[in-house]
Amino acid sequence: MSLEMIDIHKSYPMRGGRKVILRGASGCFARGERVGILGRNGSGKSTLVRLLGGVEAPTSGRIHRNMSISWPIGMAAGFQPMLSGADNARFIARIYGRSVQPAVDFVEDFSELGDYMRMPMMTYSSGMRSRLALAVSLAIDFDCYLVDEALAVGDTRFGRAFAERIERSGLILVSHSPALVRRLCTRAAVLDQGRITFYDDIDEALATYHAL
Amino acid sequence: MNGQGEVALVLRGARLQLRVIGALIIREMHTRFGRHYMGYIWLYFEPLLLGVCIGLIHAWRDRPTAFGPFEFHAVGYILFFVFRGILNRATMAIKMNQALLYHRSVTLPDVFFARHMIEFLSCTGVMLAMLFGLFAVNGSLPESPLKMAFAMIMMALFSQGLAFLAAALTAAIEGSERLVHAVTYLLLPASGLFFLVEWLPEWLAQIALWIPMVHIFELLRDGQFGSRFRAEYDLAYVIGWIMITHLIGLAALRITRARVGLE
Repeated sequence: MSLEMIDIHKSYPMRGGRKVILRGASGCFARGERVGILGRNGSGKSTLVRLLGGVEAPTSGRIHRNMSISWPIGMAAGFQPMLSGADNARFIARIYGRSVQPAVDFVEDFSELGDYMRMPMMTYSSGMRSRLALAVSLAIDFDCYLVDEALAVGDTRFGRAFAERIERSGLILVSHSPALVRRLCTRAAVLDQGRITFYDDIDEALATYHAL
Repeated sequence: MNGQGEVALVLRGARLQLRVIGALIIREMHTRFGRHYMGYIWLYFEPLLLGVCIGLIHAWRDRPTAFGPFEFHAVGYILFFVFRGILNRATMAIKMNQALLYHRSVTLPDVFFARHMIEFLSCTGVMLAMLFGLFAVNGSLPESPLKMAFAMIMMALFSQGLAFLAAALTAAIEGSERLVHAVTYLLLPASGLFFLVEWLPEWLAQIALWIPMVHIFELLRDGQFGSRFRAEYDLAYVIGWIMITHLIGLAALRITRARVGLE
């Protein structure tokens, strides 16, 4: 079971031509593997995450998904602000075909939202929103978590519980933070000039990244 | 791949899509009407109230015809409300739901199917309530409920095709939703809600029969009191419109999907 991308190109129409983001990115992510992808601002990190998550289609190339992959965590998850956290959790559980009640129970337990679980999400602070989103993603139990940018969970009880849980699952972390990649990943790649290079040795990847 | 494998794949896809549409229906109902059962009353109340008001206005103003002006207009308006409800809501559908596209199993047409199902079922419920009310008051029963149901389905499908197009247009051109709303208003007198083709002079009838909604209204009235007038409709013509608007509309949504900016 794996996620494989074969010769991915992606460009967007722009005034007077096309803006090329990816030019021939290939790679394979096995189930349970924890890979960090490092890239500078504007190197196409978010685009890559959207392509891997199936939110957008590549201009050319193929992506094979043989395992369950989360939505890009850290981006909006389509939570409806007028609905409660519990209702939103139910909705996500339904579209991913999970039993509703166990998912809600897990989220309630994990997110530490208390009575706010039954309040409209528009009453949540941004920290509460992110806790709910992360808890819901864990409740679905994906083979591979697709994470964009730093996980702003901090050194709280929730933050430690989340880090501990994510350390046991498959992960593709796209980030500009070498420290985070070193902490969470066992393999790393560097995204530069629309191409992606994988390194089995994290230190080698970090050295290349620093040299950019 | 062998044929059996392909069938299994299609079935799995269909199950997934139905699951997503079901979840979207629940989400949309909770969002629109809150989580209290009183909220759902509004779903029925809006078309029912408008239908009764239009019926009463015409009952008071019209000269008596072979058909009670009230039942003619009140029942007809509910059919028009299917069209109005679906098309007017279409313009906001993408903007309000685009963050959902981060979940790759949710597609743009799913969002529309869910909304249209709500609109269709609520209007059908109102239609049943109205017919039951009419039966209770003056004992009148529709001659062919099946034809009336068929008219509701045709109207929902026709509106759905137009809704795809309207949504794609609104996504492509900022502000064009005003145009869509204007068109739904202007189509009210041309829709067949206020007339039978039989009542029109020959030249006007020929023009009216170019409008697909006129055919659908004739079908409704044929079901409601068909033995009392000569209904004129061509279902193949309506189905042709439905297929063409779906084809172009779904293609337009596909183009829109590629262009919808996520964040």
